[in-house]
Amino acid sequence: MSQDIATIRVTRYRPEKDSKPYFQEYKVPYRHDMVVLDALNYIKAEMDGSLTYRWSCRMGVCGSCGANIDGEPKLTCASFLHDFKGRTITVEPMANFPVVKDLVVDMEDFMEKLVKIKPWIIREKETLPEQGEYKQSAQELERYSQFSSCINCMLCYAACPIYGLNEKFLGPAATALAYRYIEDSRDQGKDVRFPIVHEMEGVWECTLVGECSVVCPKGVDPMLAIQKTKILGATNAIKSILMPRGGR
Amino acid sequence: MGDNKRYPELKRRLSPGWWTASRHYAMYMIREWTSLFVALYSLVFIYGLSLWAMGSRADFLNFLKNPAIIGFSLVALVFTMYHAVTWFYLLGAISPIKIGRSKTKPWQALVLNLVLLVIVSYLAIWLLILR
Amino acid sequence: MKVESHKVARLHAILWGIFSLGGMIAAFLLPVLIYLTAIAYPFNLWPFNGTRDIGFLITGHRLGALFIFVTIAGSLYHGIFRFQSALTEVGLLRYRRALEAVGYFIIFVGIIVLGYYLATWYLNGTIS
Repeated sequence: MSQDIATIRVTRYRPEKDSKPYFQEYKVPYRHDMVVLDALNYIKAEMDGSLTYRWSCRMGVCGSCGANIDGEPKLTCASFLHDFKGRTITVEPMANFPVVKDLVVDMEDFMEKLVKIKPWIIREKETLPEQGEYKQSAQELERYSQFSSCINCMLCYAACPIYGLNEKFLGPAATALAYRYIEDSRDQGKDVRFPIVHEMEGVWECTLVGECSVVCPKGVDPMLAIQKTKILGATNAIKSILMPRGGR
Repeated sequence: MGDNKRYPELKRRLSPGWWTASRHYAMYMIREWTSLFVALYSLVFIYGLSLWAMGSRADFLNFLKNPAIIGFSLVALVFTMYHAVTWFYLLGAISPIKIGRSKTKPWQALVLNLVLLVIVSYLAIWLLILR
Repeated sequence: MKVESHKVARLHAILWGIFSLGGMIAAFLLPVLIYLTAIAYPFNLWPFNGTRDIGFLITGHRLGALFIFVTIAGSLYHGIFRFQSALTEVGLLRYRRALEAVGYFIIFVGIIVLGYYLATWYLNGTIS
């Protein structure tokens, strides 16, 4: 009885040994309900313990397992083998990031950008718990809730050619998160966030490729957030010229 | 974590041909390059007007009848329509309108704006030529 | 440096706003103009199947001249702005400053020339 086999081509890069990355092929037993992460785990457990990759929850909420699978940024835990043509699947590290080893990429740049946009509620004056909670209507929640679904998987950065061409670009996830706070009725930090998102390497680099929203596994639609932030920037700039002292 | 880099990381940047890697990227590049024809047509038109300004009205009219200019303009029209269609779709993508429980989809904005384009075009002809 | 970059960014925000407006103009007004100049007029199709010619579009009404100005100026601005950005995406990113300078120069000259001709014709009565 011949078993069904899938061929997984994985990028290997060991900086202490290799000057260039190369592909290594592994043949793993195939089951219809397998995801790419299952295949990687099988390889690591049964065939080659040196294969290095990130993963955690294996159910699409932690954002750890991003990779370029057959050229497209995807979560390995959410990519069923049966969705790909044929039984050979190529797994590469997420595009546009420097590679530390095998499929592991350096996330420093993204982490810096995440912190840069100050992803927390900013109040002019904190109210004490005794003064009661901040109230928010369902409509107010609706304005930003979609953008709060980001799991920081960075697939959008892997898909964005603008980020691939210019590392200084703030990028989809960071801008979507900034917009999430700008639109949150509890937040009063526009004066702090606007200069960050509206600087030259902020939203203005974006040319609406749109791939970020296509690959996002959580439906955040960062492209929409960036466009809305651009419109805020343009109206803000006009306002600041017409009413230099007034109008907040 | 960032300070202990004893081994070199593999830096990867995109090459100028990055957009050939997938159909999505290629369609994006084509969409952006429609702008070349929009700009060129405008410059060609201004040049034609300059023939009128420095010569006579007939110079402008003959310029428009030149087969090369007609050919170029037709190509420009195709690209301009592609710009219009993709622009209308993008308008729909960035302004979803909530109707009851559901949101409008980009293709609906595309259809609506195409109808608007026909109306505006007819209005322009009626107001500016026929009246 | 920070203040200066803030001013540049604010200027860019406005330039982007104009680019967006130009995109609307190129999408809604340019197609009919190209139809009139490249199909209707050379082939004597509607609305030029009567006595009027394409010149009437410019000299017939002030509105026609305004239409030409808005459509061509808006399309020129939008096209150059976007093309310059597209060029930076095919490997010319390091020449961005030079590309922007050339681009805005062409936009400036084009709009000045166009406005000059139309204004002159308006003032000397060619446009009724």
